[in-house]
Amino acid sequence: MRVFFFLFVTLLIHSQTKGQELFVMTEPASNMPTGSIGIRLMNSFMFNKSNNLNYHLMPEIMWGINQKWMVHFQSFQSNRTTKGLNIEGGSLYAKYRFYSNDDIHKHFRLATYGRVSINRADIHQEEIETMGHNSGGELGIVATQLVNKLAISTSVSYEKAIDNTSINKFPETQSNNATNYTLSFGRLMFPRVYKNLKQTNINLMLEFLGQTLNQNGKSNLDVVPSIQFIIRSRARIDFAYRKELYSNMLRTASNGFLIKFEYTFFNVTK
Amino acid sequence: MKRILFFMCTVLLINTAYAQIKKIDIVATGLTCSMCSNAIYKQLQSINGVDKVEIDLNKNLFTVILKNEHNLSPKDFKDKVEKAGFFIGSMVLYIDYSNLLIDDGKQEGIYFFIDTKQQTLNGEKQFRVLDKGYVTAKEFKKLLKSYTKYASYATNNENDFHIKLIQ
Repeated sequence: MRVFFFLFVTLLIHSQTKGQELFVMTEPASNMPTGSIGIRLMNSFMFNKSNNLNYHLMPEIMWGINQKWMVHFQSFQSNRTTKGLNIEGGSLYAKYRFYSNDDIHKHFRLATYGRVSINRADIHQEEIETMGHNSGGELGIVATQLVNKLAISTSVSYEKAIDNTSINKFPETQSNNATNYTLSFGRLMFPRVYKNLKQTNINLMLEFLGQTLNQNGKSNLDVVPSIQFIIRSRARIDFAYRKELYSNMLRTASNGFLIKFEYTFFNVTK
Repeated sequence: MKRILFFMCTVLLINTAYAQIKKIDIVATGLTCSMCSNAIYKQLQSINGVDKVEIDLNKNLFTVILKNEHNLSPKDFKDKVEKAGFFIGSMVLYIDYSNLLIDDGKQEGIYFFIDTKQQTLNGEKQFRVLDKGYVTAKEFKKLLKSYTKYASYATNNENDFHIKLIQ
């Protein structure tokens, strides 16, 4: 694992191609093109404590309203408590890009984002995750910089969980709000020299995701290395592995694989 | 006779203002991937009056070839690049002129010729658009200081353009 990690970081730093910011786990400060619609299918296969796989399927529709605003609609399914897939909830996510400083081969952008989610699953961990586990909301700010051909993005957000319907109440003994922080690096590895839009692009990403529960100070930190293929400049396939580096809070399934598919339809709306 | 003369002048003026842009070279800034280039490509291609768009992905250069008759101004292209989520670092217009006498600071239709010596233009010429939004933010800051003698330059009027003859 260490060798793999070292190799990954070395590749990220020394590669001489352009940076990437189409991260797997986080959203950059940049938006989708105006009028484009994207469909995304996030599949996560997480190992729980008894080494069984929890499968979460999270289909998503994304829309670039204009150069400043974009929205996502997402639904959450999982097999965590049932044999087949069970629809557990959905969310609305919006992002507003409010600052851009672009130059040749670099940019710095800032955006603010928010998510509201509903979820009816049982609350089974201390970790708060409104993307697929908790009802509630998240409000954050993200900064993305392209510097020396490397894309770096960082975000801070406040996340609050509420009852997962009247049946699955949020436990009073747990912290119902948290601060999240992320740090993402991305690098385009192939092609070295572009020939046309049909060439497959290969990107390497390394992302760190952390959370601190505000009411009791418990924290976790995960690392997610990933490889991404961009096909014909419109489709994306991401393969990632999420690994817990540190945690002193109760988490049901923190390690596992993620496979994400995405397709962008350009100029669908004006 | 007066009417005919007026009509001819109007046609001439409109032609000077718009019709002779044959081709535009656009360098976009802030790009990180071919998906981004594709977004700009699709936006530029959607403009009515565009014949074809060629891309140099390594330079983020988009060469837009226009149809013979169109009513497009540089702003139409800037708006589309910004819709894709990016900005313009450089825009070069290829315009056909026949026997047009230009001078430094002189206005001709929607264009002001700046940083350009007095001369007669004949045939296809290349001009760089130097207004805000058509050069990088850093370059615009510098240009604003050196172009104080052109009163119209600092007004940032979106519908006229300050162009410099480069070739």
